[in-house]
Amino acid sequence: MGLFGKLFKGPEIDMEKSNANAKKMRMLFNQVVEDGDSYRIIFGYTEDVSRFNYGFVHGSKTKIGNLIVGWDESSQTIVVVPTVPDLSGCGDPTYYRRPEILKAYRNKYPTDAFIIYPDKKSYIGINAYDWLEDEKLYVYVSQEEELAAFTDFFMNRFATK
Amino acid sequence: MFWDMVGTAGGIFLFLLAMVIIGNLWFHFVESVLGRIKRLFSRRKDPPAWHPLPPDKEEQNDV
Repeated sequence: MGLFGKLFKGPEIDMEKSNANAKKMRMLFNQVVEDGDSYRIIFGYTEDVSRFNYGFVHGSKTKIGNLIVGWDESSQTIVVVPTVPDLSGCGDPTYYRRPEILKAYRNKYPTDAFIIYPDKKSYIGINAYDWLEDEKLYVYVSQEEELAAFTDFFMNRFATK
Repeated sequence: MFWDMVGTAGGIFLFLLAMVIIGNLWFHFVESVLGRIKRLFSRRKDPPAWHPLPPDKEEQNDV
């Protein structure tokens, strides 16, 4: 490969780091979710955008929440576990069982997030991509295959009509 | 003539730079005040449960 080929090749994924993080995600998930191995997992995140107006300074703030998202095809359940980019720990899981939720669909604009309304008052928007480079904000993991499987499950067996 | 233009441009740049610095200071000041007020009201609430990553088995056997 020539010099320009190397220059414009784009960022490469560190698979060693990605695999180590995938293992950590599994350990954390199985630690808090009963029968965790029956779930496939991916990394996802939520975005909370809020506007502020402090007199002559105004704009918007975005808070990112990292998530381990698990899904079980047989029980049609999605489990969401909050975590942090370095995977040093995780919070309690939240279960979204298809027969119990109000509605679920994939957003189109402004992002293609997976939206779940467990009831009328609350909702969660899960963003997921095959790889995100910024390790300070997101979990460093390559998940092309898992994301495709999750998308297929969500669109064909979890989303409400 | 040339140096007059450079002086004017420099003045405008310094003015904009000062505005950015003052704006940042003001933003962080208001954020810290709001953060303290929020903490006052949320002091009685229990912190959310947190489960740290268990130590790796290989690391435990390294000793």
